[in-house]
Amino acid sequence: MTTGTHGNTRTTPRRPRRLALGAGILGMSLVVSACSGTTPGTGSSGPAASVAPASSITEIDYFTDATSSDAFKKVLDTCSTQTGVTIQRQSLPLKELLPKVLQGASSGTMPDLAFVDNVNVQQLAETGALSPIDDYGFDLSGYVKGIVDATTLNGKNYGVSPAINTLALFYNKKMFADAGLTPPTTWDELTKDAKALTSGSRYGFAVSAPASEEGTWQFLPFFWSNGGDLTKLTAAPSVDALTYLTSFVKDGSMSQSVVNWAQADVADQFIAGNAAMMINGPWNISKIDKSGKVDYGIVPIPTPKAGQDPVVPLGGEVGVIPATGAPTQAAAAEVLKCMTADAQMLKWAEGNTRIAPRASTAAEEIKAMPVLAPFATTVLTARARTTGLGAKYPVISQALWTAIQSALTGAQSPEAALQAAQKSVG
Amino acid sequence: MSTIDRTGVRERGMRSRTHRREYLVGIAFGVPAAVYVVAFFGYPLFYNVLMGFQNYTPRSFYTGEAPFVGLANYQTVISSPTFWPAIWHTAVFTVGSIAFQFAIGLGLALYFTRRFPLSGLLRAMLLLPWLLPLIVSSAIWRWMYDKDYGVVNALLKLIPGVDAGVPWLTQGNWALVAIIIANIWIGIPFNMVLLHGGLQSISADIYEAAKLDGAGAWQRFRYMTWPLLKPVTLVVLMLGLVYTIKVFDVIMGLTGGGPANQTQTLTTWSYQYSFQLFKFGPGAAVSNLLIIIATVVGLLYLRSLRRSGDPR
Amino acid sequence: MTRVMARNRRTQVRTSATQATPSLAPHRGSGERRAWIHTVIGVVILAVLLFPLYWMINASFQPSGALLKPEPSYFPTTFTLDGYRSTFATQGSNVVTSLIVSLGTVVITLLLATPAAYALAKLRVPARTSLMLVVITVQMIPGIVMANALYIVFARLRLIDNYLGLMLADATTAVPFAILIMRAFMQDIPQELMEAARIDGAGELGVFRSIVVPMSRNSIITAGLFAFLHGWSDFLFAVTLTTGSAFTPVTVGIYRFMGAQTADWNGVMATATVASIPAVFLLILVQKYIAAGITGGAVKE
Repeated sequence: MTTGTHGNTRTTPRRPRRLALGAGILGMSLVVSACSGTTPGTGSSGPAASVAPASSITEIDYFTDATSSDAFKKVLDTCSTQTGVTIQRQSLPLKELLPKVLQGASSGTMPDLAFVDNVNVQQLAETGALSPIDDYGFDLSGYVKGIVDATTLNGKNYGVSPAINTLALFYNKKMFADAGLTPPTTWDELTKDAKALTSGSRYGFAVSAPASEEGTWQFLPFFWSNGGDLTKLTAAPSVDALTYLTSFVKDGSMSQSVVNWAQADVADQFIAGNAAMMINGPWNISKIDKSGKVDYGIVPIPTPKAGQDPVVPLGGEVGVIPATGAPTQAAAAEVLKCMTADAQMLKWAEGNTRIAPRASTAAEEIKAMPVLAPFATTVLTARARTTGLGAKYPVISQALWTAIQSALTGAQSPEAALQAAQKSVG
Repeated sequence: MSTIDRTGVRERGMRSRTHRREYLVGIAFGVPAAVYVVAFFGYPLFYNVLMGFQNYTPRSFYTGEAPFVGLANYQTVISSPTFWPAIWHTAVFTVGSIAFQFAIGLGLALYFTRRFPLSGLLRAMLLLPWLLPLIVSSAIWRWMYDKDYGVVNALLKLIPGVDAGVPWLTQGNWALVAIIIANIWIGIPFNMVLLHGGLQSISADIYEAAKLDGAGAWQRFRYMTWPLLKPVTLVVLMLGLVYTIKVFDVIMGLTGGGPANQTQTLTTWSYQYSFQLFKFGPGAAVSNLLIIIATVVGLLYLRSLRRSGDPR
Repeated sequence: MTRVMARNRRTQVRTSATQATPSLAPHRGSGERRAWIHTVIGVVILAVLLFPLYWMINASFQPSGALLKPEPSYFPTTFTLDGYRSTFATQGSNVVTSLIVSLGTVVITLLLATPAAYALAKLRVPARTSLMLVVITVQMIPGIVMANALYIVFARLRLIDNYLGLMLADATTAVPFAILIMRAFMQDIPQELMEAARIDGAGELGVFRSIVVPMSRNSIITAGLFAFLHGWSDFLFAVTLTTGSAFTPVTVGIYRFMGAQTADWNGVMATATVASIPAVFLLILVQKYIAAGITGGAVKE
């Protein structure tokens, strides 16, 4: 490589030139960023009743897989025809939904109608981006209390749910019959049955305990049924509940791999016959039926003592109406009203194997799909996770799922794990 | 060089004209990329650096309000009990991945410099790990690593003396090993292709001379290939470092940062702050730390370039 | 240096390329046998390294969860084509979309990065070190931050659901890398060749076109390859910058088989397998062009 005589004949010294260029680059960046800075959302969140609804709205949801997506599309199409509003639909994976909504908030391009996980509603409402649904004249009589709690913040309701769900205990009828057992109703029975059904490569019991909201969600039936309080993670009922769950791993009746299994994976394990019982939701029903491999039954989740009702967490989507302007808000409200009217609510709940949030509609649904009965009964007393916690819930949830994983893998005792959790919550 | 032969003022004048011309040409060639980089990276970089100094919540997305909090986010991050573990995990993950990716990639590149039937096809197929969407790769590895039903443990149990499966993803240390192995698998094609390209650009005649002189294979490698490969080696290692620190999908797909934060790296932790806890300020602070690390790595690389004879 | 000498230099370089494999020529018989042994070893290495890929293909022919056995089925004994059926029915256009986006990413990346790499390698550029540092550093910006920021800008510029927009966004993962890699390889181009071309009367663009680009063929192809792979396997920009109403790359389309709480792994693996096929063809095609010795070697005569 020729070095050179070139190097000594610079006309300007090196450093100031470099600084100038650096400043120039920084300057251009500032200009670019100033030109594309964030602006507050537009649109009023006041009453939209007296405005003519827009003729088309943008919608966003998280029903991406074939079954759900097709069933949801049918409902959207029916309501689109009924209300005369064209719906531009976008469906995203659940993990990407909230970032997309927030991006929309930043750029003033929020969807007119969004179906978000109920656990995020209060947080979104807190940002001020949502319009209260009280303005649109929804009839929420007969709605399950839990879902109304989930969507209420500071006395105002910010969303209406078209379908909800919760957890129950699935069990393998053949394995139970072979072992001469009946489905458990109490914690003691669950422990005994799980132990008895563990043999060879088969585990008696399986839950989902990954490092995500699913981990917390699956633990809450045990946590709450034992009297646990999310604001008191180190109290005795909380510790006992975690100790109970850990006992399954200690006994050998539950695989330690549950810390890596999402609920979909647990269902796969159940279908493959690797687990005799699992805690899971109604979304698996069509999959298990289709596989034809398992003769299964569903019962409510066992409780600490006999005669109690399990306290289960409430799941499901909520339709929210961001403040994107009076006409689009009115149109979105019309569509949402159509979707939550009895006819469409029933179609959606049946098509997606979830539960209708209106008790009367749910009763009808059970007539057509009796297998959903255990879910329908427990969902009446289900509790919303964000009740009283609002935006604090994500922090508590993360601390809790970390503690669950810590205890299940034996890294810490349940007590120590929950103490660390409480400490991280602050 | 034609200019060397001339003397005097005319020479200096010509040289500075040539310099200026080259200078302008250099700018002209670089301008499209420069505009692109500034336009596409300028705003995100500025945005991220700024967010590290703000109390940024979901509300900030909507209202644009994000109060300035100075270094509070950095204090939160540094005083968090996850901080040092995250740094440690990131360091182990990065060093472990790069060491093996590079070594295996180099070995494969050397092997494939030979010409034998189907070598081109085989080399092309070795790029496949990089082709798969990461969501698919993580799912496959997750099944393979399952303690009870995974094929890795099934194969391990075939070895006499091994009767219990390894708790690949459920015990902290093993989980770290597991994600490193998966990451190595994904990163080998990158290293192999670049090193192969570097090896190809070394003229083969010099090996002939060395072989005639009696140099063995290892000596040829150590004293000829390795030094000649140095520029490519440096850039591969530098880029490998930057990309490995940034790895996100593989870790999230396999362990989600768990179990219990035992595979949490700086990148996954930043994501957790921003999109699981919705505390975007500390999330940006952690990712800014990563940017600082990358800058340091870049400076080291540039210094090594200068030392190894890059003339300007 | 005279014109003749420069041309001779170029010929010298080219001949050394064709002499890259002197060992096979004289001993044809045993050389051929030895070559096939290498092929066998190569296939074994491939089999070991690509086992996870075989597992994916295995899974694509079995129902979801069929691999979850203590003795996993190494061959698809419970054979099913359901996944492939759904894939062909729904993902065909997505694969084409991904191909278009990836190829566009390659074009944009090479157009931007090749001249810039040359400038940073050979020309006098002010603040060269700072510029290179910037190029290295900006790669560290987390993808999600890039996606957020780009969404805000693109939404304003109406570049959502736009092929060009997505290609430009995907290029952000490839351009810095391409610049750095091509720069490293371009450093080795002998200065004399370029000077000779300049003396011959070629303008800077001519030097670039006739000397630098041909001699950087390996690194350009490599950079293009990486740009293709980045564009192909990108998920984040695809999901952020599209709404599904215009086109859907296959990385997003694959979610037709994955819901919030359910997953049809059979379909996912079938899609991944099918989606890999066109890309594999391209890879094999491109590998042929990465030939030996084109860049003239690091050793100066």
